[in-house]
Amino acid sequence: MFETILKSVFSAGTFNQMLRSATPVALAALGGAMTEHAGIMNIGMDGMILMGAFFGVLGSYLFGSAAAGIAMVLLMGVIVGLFFALFVVKFRSDEFIIGTALNTFALGLTSFLSRSIFGTAGTKGNPALPTVHIPGLDAIPFLGTVLNDNSLFIYLTWLLVLAAWLFVYKTPYGFWLRASGEKPETLRTAGISPEKMKWLASILCGLLCGLAGAHLSLGQLQGTFAEDMANSRGYIAFACVIFSKANPAVAYAAALMFGFFDAIGLRLQDYISSDLTNTIPYIITIVMMVYVVVRSQRRKRHSSKRLPEMQT
Amino acid sequence: MDDIAVSFRHVSMAFPGVLANDDVSLDIRKGEVFALVGENGAGKSTLMNVLYGINAPTDGQVFINDREVTEFSPRTAIGMGVGMVHQHFMLVPSFTVAQNIVMSREPRRWRVFFDNAAAERQTRHLVEEFGLEVEADLPVEELSVGLQQRVEILKTLFRGAEILILDEPTAVLTPQETDELFSVIRRVVRERNMTVIIITHKLYEVMAISDRVGVMRKGKLVGVRDTAQVDEKLLASMMVGRPMLYDHLEKTGVPGREMICVRDLVVRDNRGLVAVNGLSLSVRAGEVLGIAAIEGNGQSELIEAITGMRRPESGSVTLDGRDATGLSPGQIRAMGLAHVPEDRLATGVSRDATVADNLLTGKQRQRRFNRFGFHQRTSTIERYAQELYEKFDIRGAGTDVTVGSMSGGNMQKVVIAREFSFDTPILIISQPTRGVDVGAIEFIHSHIIDRRNHGCAILLSSADLDEVFRLSDRIITLYEGRITGEFTGTFSKEEIGYRMTGSRKDKEAAS
Amino acid sequence: MMERLKKRRWGYLLSLVLSVLLAFAIGALILLAAGFDPIRAYGAMIGGAFSNARHVGDFLEYAMVLCLTGLACVLGSRVGIFNVGGEGQLLLGAVVSCQVGVWLNGLSPWLVIPAAALAAMVTGGLYALLPGFLKVKVKVNEVITTIMLNTIAASLCQFLAKGPWKNANKNMVAATERLDPRYWFKTLISGSSLSTAIIAAVVITFLTWYIMQKTSLGFEMKLTGQNPRFAFFSGISTDRLVIVCIVVSGAMCGLVGMFRVYGVEHLYRSSISNQYYFEGLTVAMIARYDPVTVIGLSFFFAILKIGAQGMELSAGVPNQIYLIIQTVIIFFMAAENGIFTSLRTGAMRRRARADIRRKEEQEHV
Repeated sequence: MFETILKSVFSAGTFNQMLRSATPVALAALGGAMTEHAGIMNIGMDGMILMGAFFGVLGSYLFGSAAAGIAMVLLMGVIVGLFFALFVVKFRSDEFIIGTALNTFALGLTSFLSRSIFGTAGTKGNPALPTVHIPGLDAIPFLGTVLNDNSLFIYLTWLLVLAAWLFVYKTPYGFWLRASGEKPETLRTAGISPEKMKWLASILCGLLCGLAGAHLSLGQLQGTFAEDMANSRGYIAFACVIFSKANPAVAYAAALMFGFFDAIGLRLQDYISSDLTNTIPYIITIVMMVYVVVRSQRRKRHSSKRLPEMQT
Repeated sequence: MDDIAVSFRHVSMAFPGVLANDDVSLDIRKGEVFALVGENGAGKSTLMNVLYGINAPTDGQVFINDREVTEFSPRTAIGMGVGMVHQHFMLVPSFTVAQNIVMSREPRRWRVFFDNAAAERQTRHLVEEFGLEVEADLPVEELSVGLQQRVEILKTLFRGAEILILDEPTAVLTPQETDELFSVIRRVVRERNMTVIIITHKLYEVMAISDRVGVMRKGKLVGVRDTAQVDEKLLASMMVGRPMLYDHLEKTGVPGREMICVRDLVVRDNRGLVAVNGLSLSVRAGEVLGIAAIEGNGQSELIEAITGMRRPESGSVTLDGRDATGLSPGQIRAMGLAHVPEDRLATGVSRDATVADNLLTGKQRQRRFNRFGFHQRTSTIERYAQELYEKFDIRGAGTDVTVGSMSGGNMQKVVIAREFSFDTPILIISQPTRGVDVGAIEFIHSHIIDRRNHGCAILLSSADLDEVFRLSDRIITLYEGRITGEFTGTFSKEEIGYRMTGSRKDKEAAS
Repeated sequence: MMERLKKRRWGYLLSLVLSVLLAFAIGALILLAAGFDPIRAYGAMIGGAFSNARHVGDFLEYAMVLCLTGLACVLGSRVGIFNVGGEGQLLLGAVVSCQVGVWLNGLSPWLVIPAAALAAMVTGGLYALLPGFLKVKVKVNEVITTIMLNTIAASLCQFLAKGPWKNANKNMVAATERLDPRYWFKTLISGSSLSTAIIAAVVITFLTWYIMQKTSLGFEMKLTGQNPRFAFFSGISTDRLVIVCIVVSGAMCGLVGMFRVYGVEHLYRSSISNQYYFEGLTVAMIARYDPVTVIGLSFFFAILKIGAQGMELSAGVPNQIYLIIQTVIIFFMAAENGIFTSLRTGAMRRRARADIRRKEEQEHV
């Protein structure tokens, strides 16, 4: 029996499932990495994803094409990002309050509109994003099955991870973004507005979370919208951001790990309740957080170099 | 006139509730070192922030190299050749030296990518050009404070500054680092014909480095002089508006039994480094022991360890004959200790609480303030707070406003009133008058001596050496967590200053 | 003192009223856009809550839930710890207290109900202890841990209700056994959710308010929340106080779960709470963590929520408009400070400039 379990856990199906579960989380986490670098604790990603999921389907439903859905998502992503920044950056409201409220607002708005437009059952079967077949990839035995014939955004995510990583660590704008979170006055005295970088981060986050939602509704579920379909993915993405210290590449790896546990939960359903396996990623997140904090504290203690005095 | 670098004309700057600059007119010449002195809150930094474009003046004009500043922003100021080294460094700790220096003018590759190699190359050029040695590729957080300041100066030079503003540059430096800084200043002035404006409140530095000096008081520029024509005394009296004449403090009584006894204490700082290194001291009743040390030599950690704010690594603390090592502040206070902390805002008060609440803190469990031991007697508390408010001459809008809305001096009086009213046999006092106006200093000093004359054992630490001299019966000098000298009777300023910088008599004797 | 406090109080009330009005206006726009008649919808909403005794009972019960969860949140925030994990504490308290009632079936209600209440409080308290401990000792952000713990608790409860503590009835998919009716709280208004639990709730509300506002312990809590370093410096055992407060906060949430089981549902299933703690937390935020305001706003939002459900039935408007209105109020209240500050500093600058001009003119004369 043990062998069958192992076989089903480490099958191509598991890893494919892992990739699929990880992608929406990873996209949102990329967005979260932007706001995190800008020094904003963004709890509101769940709401941003939900908005993306809804408006993607709405666009697809109204205009009969997934591309129109994506266009709508991008527009809404910018609007949501601007909205978030308006409160958090301009009015200096508490980030947690705005994030929580944004989640509830998104739930209320999408459910209200969904019921007003589609009725209580939600909608499905709208024009969806294509899957991509890469010819020749199937020739590779295991990887081929895992990597081929996935929804478009799974591949797009790889590009976006690379782009986000380059943006954050290899362009001047990335330096400004990080400076705006780490020490905003530095940027201000250099003649660059840290607020502008925070606005930019919020907009990018809105966009990426919107794409995460669009992938959920238009990609993964082929044109379906159900109420509260973000299903706490925003929080998992947030955990990935925290774990990765907002490094896009590490955040993607963290998302893959979440996806892996999600996938083996489904595989092991017959042996152990999926309600229990579902808790594993969250438990891991808490353990990771404790680990990250403890490690950084220990590193600080052992550093023998002379550091500047704390300035508050 | 083309030898004027900066010209302020009738500049006023109003913040909600304060007129920080009041009709200031001032010309600063090219190629001179101009010192701007004044007490805390006199408006020096505000004026310089106007020059650097951080604040737009409420009124008046500013000319830089004879061009009127029309748009106040750091970007414009930088463009007009102004550079500023702030009191709190404007460096991103996790970025390297080069990345900090080139910020906002990053060398690029393919127009969008940051060219790190070029940034380091440019930094090295700059380092060689000005002789300011620093590693280009080290993260700034790993540099000493003096080196960080050097990076700040390099940053302004990189941006093409001709006018360099230094805001209290020596506050965080060791004497050696100060000397190095001054030689750097002299070099850039001599070789580059730069104009340097240095904000400070240390008068001997004014004498040491500047060509001319401007004195500010309460937002007004009260005078500009050639440094050669003034002395410290004259500057001091210009700063405070009247000659600084302290009344003689009457010290009475003889020291009694040992109240504070510290043995072989080792304490680590926030970074895990040994800050107090096997230190022993004792303070007797009716005695003030002063600690003279440059900031960051373990005095903060020592006091935190004695008062329970920090757990010592090893050694012992005994208070009035009872072991107090590693106890919590609550337990230690119960043994008869009160503590005026060095950092008023972070530790000494709750800014969001009312004056009354701040005065009550620590006594909230006392019988007289509670019915049945838990129900607060509001009117008794009100009365008590009012009493202390008057007794300690706190000036503000009453006991019911938040402490955060008060001036620094009155905030300090709230702290002093609360801690002194515990009427404990032991008092630990750090920076009793930092940022406090002259009148209040006198008041606080007399209260400290009054407690001493009533038999209180007092451990005093202050960055203001004159204060330590004035109040202490005995003085110890600390350097890197060790006692480097002990003085009683008449104190020699030179000798104490010498010991504070790490020279130990016994070391010399041994060699 | 009173004058100043009153002034702040009026300022708060004014912005609250403005926020509510603006939120309804925005809600009206959304209703219009979705093709509903806002006047009719709002009429149905307000009417819905008071249309009959059953609805009144329902909104009183919901106000109780909001008030207790809101105060639980206030209790944590008072000492500077933000308990976002109330939902999980509530669910676990509900499922455990229910199972205690099932296990002890047959014993006197005088024994079973206190035992169940205790079990609920202990469960909720222990579940809050973990984030409290991590926050105080390891300095791990409690907001994130409690969010994670919420999801864990929800899954755990589902597991228990589907597995070991499952209802024997095959048609009940995820629910525990039903409690014996003699353990149920008496319903006060027939057909409604309002039970005698509200009496306990009133007592708890009063006690929480009293301790926070009137006692030396409350004073210490307030200091700890405002400046923990200062509180510690003054001799308060801040770590212990923070942990005690979040544990009590968790215990309150657990108890709310027990009230929901013994007063309304009589068994555990996931409908025991539909993110109720988050709504309580929202109320606490809008109330700026002031206990009395929490009590008042609980009634207001309970009326809106129950009214919205009535509105859905009578006017066919999806009740989620309630969530939209509620969150728009939060947005305005959270931004109020920022909006006013930017207005105020602008005005002050202008006034200061005018003062200087005036002074100069006088000097010239």
